Amino acid sequence: MKNVQSLGALMEERGVSRRAFLKYASYVASLMALPPAAAAAMAEGLAKARRQSVIWLSFQECTGCTESITRAHSPTLENLIFDFISLDYQEVLMAACGEAADAARHAAMADNKGKYIVVVEGSVPTKDGGIYSAIGGVSNLQMLQETVENAFAVVAVGSCASFGGIPKANPNPTGAVAISDLIGGKPLINISGCPPIPEAIVGSLSYILSFGKLPELDHLGRPKAFFGETIHDRCYRRPFYERGLFADSFDDDGARQGWCLYKVGCKGPVTYNACATLKWNGGVSFPIQSGHGCLGCSEPNFWDGGGFYRPLPTPLGATGTVLAGAAVAGAALGLGASHLARKHQKNYLAAPKSEED
Amino acid sequence: MTSSCANSLAPELPAHKKTGMAEPVLREIHARLESFAATGQTGAIDLAGMPLTRADREALEAFLGRGEVSATLDVAGRSEIWETAYSGVWWVRHWGGDAVASELIEITAIPEILKTDRTDAAGAVKRLALTLQQRDRGSNGDGA
Repeated sequence: MKNVQSLGALMEERGVSRRAFLKYASYVASLMALPPAAAAAMAEGLAKARRQSVIWLSFQECTGCTESITRAHSPTLENLIFDFISLDYQEVLMAACGEAADAARHAAMADNKGKYIVVVEGSVPTKDGGIYSAIGGVSNLQMLQETVENAFAVVAVGSCASFGGIPKANPNPTGAVAISDLIGGKPLINISGCPPIPEAIVGSLSYILSFGKLPELDHLGRPKAFFGETIHDRCYRRPFYERGLFADSFDDDGARQGWCLYKVGCKGPVTYNACATLKWNGGVSFPIQSGHGCLGCSEPNFWDGGGFYRPLPTPLGATGTVLAGAAVAGAALGLGASHLARKHQKNYLAAPKSEED
Repeated sequence: MTSSCANSLAPELPAHKKTGMAEPVLREIHARLESFAATGQTGAIDLAGMPLTRADREALEAFLGRGEVSATLDVAGRSEIWETAYSGVWWVRHWGGDAVASELIEITAIPEILKTDRTDAAGAVKRLALTLQQRDRGSNGDGA
């Protein structure tokens, strides 16, 4: 499926003007906190780009990431991504199946050698030769290696693909690993989350299409535009944290007052994602707004973090004492607790690495 | 839009409260407008990037008011564009389905999205020529 026409020409054939590109680019630039002036350059880049061939591989996963991208918040805009890319292989969405589907994958690889993007959803089992997950007799490991060989870039969508996720959780019976462990030096974006925020997927793909390069990434390979701040940084309950006002259980007065959920296990202070700003279900809410702490689903090894309801450890080993003290002492000590949380963040994030070592 | 479920456990959300954040936005608009008037330098402010509550936005919109020009676009969803009561200050609101997808204040003579792109005009030249040709063929046929 060679895509020789520019997107501008393709859209023109459908009677869609360049204004659609500008509107879309304005939306994506806003999502990615790019300067408003970048929208014009982005729109021009999109209009000149060829329709991008995308091969979407699904391995050890639950299809929640596919569900996420197909449940767009702004459908008239976000669905334009499906006009801008040629989704040449996606087992859930494509009409073809079996050998015909696989033929489509091979055709896309041959026609777009060196130019196609591989999106991967799910981790890959490596134990016992990777026999624990296979499609048409081809192991996930084989399919990944074969498909990424001539890809332009790889996008790991969701925490399973980005960091191993639930399949990799202890005791990891299938030897599941993240995509980054298997693709050598191929350019890679990790868009973590369980599931990831659809705007992060759409925005990252659009950036590649427009500018022909990957967006700026953090140390875990995630786009900084969406993973540059913690949930805690942008949480609307943060003022309660600063004042030392916490819920001690899910049905106490603090919970009813909507106070900070730090003491009931919220992982917001160590979790980088955009849930607190972009939210879910059309911007209606996100877990903390619905009364539950953040699980930290966009961070590595979140499943093995020691319990969703266990408070983050403090350097003093006495979260309850420190935080109760903060509640009594009010704002001043609350700010002290905030400083401690920054230090916890480093310790918490360092812990999984030392386990792996 | 906030569900009743979401509200049941959340504290009083500040969406209906003014935070005073509209004020610095107004100052920025003033500075950019001054620059545009003096040098022609255009600019834009992405309201999504500002920590504005709904009340702040409403206050900002009310303060800037409506000017002489307004337009509605129907491309990839609806967009509403109007010049505020202050010439050169435009409000651009893009809808994506039922929700506002992005919102900008542009300081310019006319927002870029209202202009016709020359590539679109080139396409229109071809389409118009083809339509005229087809019409002429049809009318010749009728005559014969």
